Amino acid sequence: MVRTGTRLAALSLALSMATLLVAHASPSAARTSQTSQTAQGAPQAEKRIVRLGATQSMDSMNPFLAVRVVSTSIHRWMYGFLTVPDSKTLKPGPDLAESWETSPDKLTWTFTMRAGATWSDGKPVTAQDAAWTFNKIMTDDGAKTANGPAVENFDTVTASDDRTLVIKTKKPQASMLELPIPIMPKHVWESVPDIGTYENEVYPAVGSGPYIAVEHKKNAYVRLKANPSYWRGAPAIDELHVIFYENPEAAIAGLKKGDIDWIGRLQGPQFEALAGDANITQWNTQGRRAAYLQFNPGAATADGEPIGDGHPALKDVRVRQAIHHAIDKKTLVEQAQNGLAVPADGSIIPPMYQEFFWKAEGEAAVTFDLAEANRILDEAGYAKGADGIRTMPEGGRKLEMRFSIHTDEPVEDKIAQYLTGWLKDIGIQLTTRRLDSNKFTEETGSTALYDIAISGWSVNPDPEEILATHLCSRRPTASGEGGGTESFFCDKEFERLYQEQLVELDRPARVKLIKQMQERLYTEAPVVAIYYPNNLEGYRKDRIASITPIPEDNGILYGGSSYWPVYTLRAVERAAAPAGSGSGIGTAVVVGVVVVLVLGAGGFLLMRRRRVSADDRE
Amino acid sequence: MLTSPQQVRDGAEEGGARRAVARYALVKLGGALLSIGLVIVATFFLFRLIPGDPAIAYTRDVPVTPEQLALLRRQLGLDRPLGAQFLDFVGRTLRLDLGTSYEYRRPVAELIGDRVGPTLLLVGTGLAVAVGLGMWQGTRAAWHHGGRFDRLSTGTALTLWSVPTFWLGLLLLMVLAAGIGPIPGLFPTRGMEDVDAPGGPLYLLHVAHHLVLPCLTLVAVVYAQYLLVMRSSLLEEIGQDYVTTARAKGLRDDDVRRRHAVPNALLPTVTLVFMQIGFVVGGAVSVEFVYSWPGLGLLFVEAIRGPDYAVMQGTFMLVCVAVIVMNTLADVVYHVLDPRVRSA
Repeated sequence: MVRTGTRLAALSLALSMATLLVAHASPSAARTSQTSQTAQGAPQAEKRIVRLGATQSMDSMNPFLAVRVVSTSIHRWMYGFLTVPDSKTLKPGPDLAESWETSPDKLTWTFTMRAGATWSDGKPVTAQDAAWTFNKIMTDDGAKTANGPAVENFDTVTASDDRTLVIKTKKPQASMLELPIPIMPKHVWESVPDIGTYENEVYPAVGSGPYIAVEHKKNAYVRLKANPSYWRGAPAIDELHVIFYENPEAAIAGLKKGDIDWIGRLQGPQFEALAGDANITQWNTQGRRAAYLQFNPGAATADGEPIGDGHPALKDVRVRQAIHHAIDKKTLVEQAQNGLAVPADGSIIPPMYQEFFWKAEGEAAVTFDLAEANRILDEAGYAKGADGIRTMPEGGRKLEMRFSIHTDEPVEDKIAQYLTGWLKDIGIQLTTRRLDSNKFTEETGSTALYDIAISGWSVNPDPEEILATHLCSRRPTASGEGGGTESFFCDKEFERLYQEQLVELDRPARVKLIKQMQERLYTEAPVVAIYYPNNLEGYRKDRIASITPIPEDNGILYGGSSYWPVYTLRAVERAAAPAGSGSGIGTAVVVGVVVVLVLGAGGFLLMRRRRVSADDRE
Repeated sequence: MLTSPQQVRDGAEEGGARRAVARYALVKLGGALLSIGLVIVATFFLFRLIPGDPAIAYTRDVPVTPEQLALLRRQLGLDRPLGAQFLDFVGRTLRLDLGTSYEYRRPVAELIGDRVGPTLLLVGTGLAVAVGLGMWQGTRAAWHHGGRFDRLSTGTALTLWSVPTFWLGLLLLMVLAAGIGPIPGLFPTRGMEDVDAPGGPLYLLHVAHHLVLPCLTLVAVVYAQYLLVMRSSLLEEIGQDYVTTARAKGLRDDDVRRRHAVPNALLPTVTLVFMQIGFVVGGAVSVEFVYSWPGLGLLFVEAIRGPDYAVMQGTFMLVCVAVIVMNTLADVVYHVLDPRVRSA
């Protein structure tokens, strides 16, 4: 029976050895190829490498399918676009298209492609590539996944010669210069049989951006090399590694230790954990997100049929405005966001987009003023009862409302506490409802089972999409299908302005229309912007010498709609013995010690066993 | 050659016993198949009870028109009656087609295949170490029970058992991976390998280096159960007559323990090990999350976060089936190992 134990031990050992071998049979093959690649290049110590941590892994290397921020960011570094936001103004600027013009009927766009731009395999980038990319998305359902809606208004796309791309649209489209679609190399991709399931795991990938992906270890990292034939000139670093952490806390630990050099999109507490580290630059700038409250303004379907159970008082714009007066945004920023946000004085488009940003000024501004809020409600006939809670003007229903937030969001819990207190002061009783995110999306987006809810949106350089979330047509269909409304708002004036800006190709005129739309949202108050969370990042100054944000003044490093920051990255040149190699040696020593210990312990046990068996034999 | 009646009877008994084992195994196998069938049915309905419309959940924060939503529903088969969806699901599952991940646009079976290796490595190693450690400490603790070693080891194990895995993992990560004050960061902060991983045999060391902390966390949290089971079953044996007899024969204390008491006390632990192997496949969700270990547990977390229903269903079924298979195996092995079960 003793043998059972020994056998069991042997078996488990053998099992774990076997798994070790099995698990690594394939990666070790990949490894060899990588080693041979490094062997060809310069000695490793001299390489200027920057390692970016991301708290997501790639969903797909195929740009027709990828939607995660990390994937679309990496694709922006690998592939050129027709146009990109200007690094200073965020206005559309040339990229693979050098210039463009529109026909008088506003329906035909003619782009002149950049002369001299090449794919990383040496072939020229032509209008044929762009035409193929757009046509693929227009004609192949499998290719629509990531950017299908962007080409919905396209009628035809043709290349009249290698440098001329002609796009004809069904209706005028003002946002034509913000197409989120990377141009793909036709000669590489046209032979792909099924785009909808293609993984694009061929390396080095053929691209036209500042970096070339040379390796993707799924769920671990993507390795990119500087593209020497990039039309702007090669980036100043040799390699850019994007390393995936599932756990943001571990990523922070990795940054502090030096396992990674840079991490973006941090939450407040993570950002604060970086304070006091002499090697780390804390990057705290304006962000691209707006946080707002949405009121149920008497929700209805797109056909106008009322749905949901929103409080009737919220149909009254005066009640919504009174609640707006009862929100102290400065306090919310300080208490809920620890000061890492900017209080909103107006729009749902953050001030980072200064061209489109609109803010209420003077008399029009709704300030924190509980007395004014009470005055508005008194005047509107919502009388306070003995318990201090107001009732509807016709009597009956009290102003008792629900505040829907997400579960496990401490920030939203804090907002709920403050809001409940302020609304109590103006005679509205608020109870907090915590919902998991699926339920939350359903109740605040299609079934309308809410009164007041918290929401937020990350805004692109062209704000058309966030404005569209307040269109009548975005309300659910008669069968209850959600259309992506953020407010159940439906307003004739707002619709008119939206349709006008869609076709307004004169930029200043369009900006004016978009500002008018924001003003309309502000005064009608289906949503009330509360603050703009800051963009929080951190990088090691002993590894990154400089990096230029987008926009260049007080902008974003990771996660913006541009390759500009990674293109301008400069690594710290390290002349003397680099600190990094020390950790390598340390690692080797630790591993060595562990191995020796394990072997020693095993040997000791074995000897003891032998001795004991020898004893037994006597 | 003549056969004595005695030999004939032995042969018949042996044959009968073998038939009994076979029957026992068949019954258990039948039970397991039935359970797996129930899991498939339950999976289908369970995942349709989750609040929220998958099509809406998939397109959260993405601009979509109602037509696109309708197209998506058609692609996902959500527009068909529940009965048809169910039959389709059962048919595909039986053909081992677990569907296609919405987020990765790849077959779920393929995604699972990618993740099985790392999970088996992590949890397999962790389990082997935990079993070894637990059995060794449990044996020693029981043999000198009430002594200082007993109190210390049992106390430590129970404390670690009560600690939340997530918290312990983060703590170890902060201290041993990131380094605090004078303690340097000795281990990597994430994953199974780094970009500059070496090739050849050094690669195994590289992975082993990454494995230390996740494995340590896992062992710390689970070894207590082996210790306690081993300890209590050995304590039961210590009072038995055969142990006294062995002592009376003048055997050394070590031999009494190793050759007589421990083998008999081993059975409950073996059962526990087998039952745990089933959960190995599910991975250690918290540990994998803390250390970004690219295993099945992490896949499950990502699927929930998505939400990616096909992946959730696939991993859920895989874990259930693994547990059922291993429990059945445990039943059979127990039957073989312990004659008392056979007669019962």
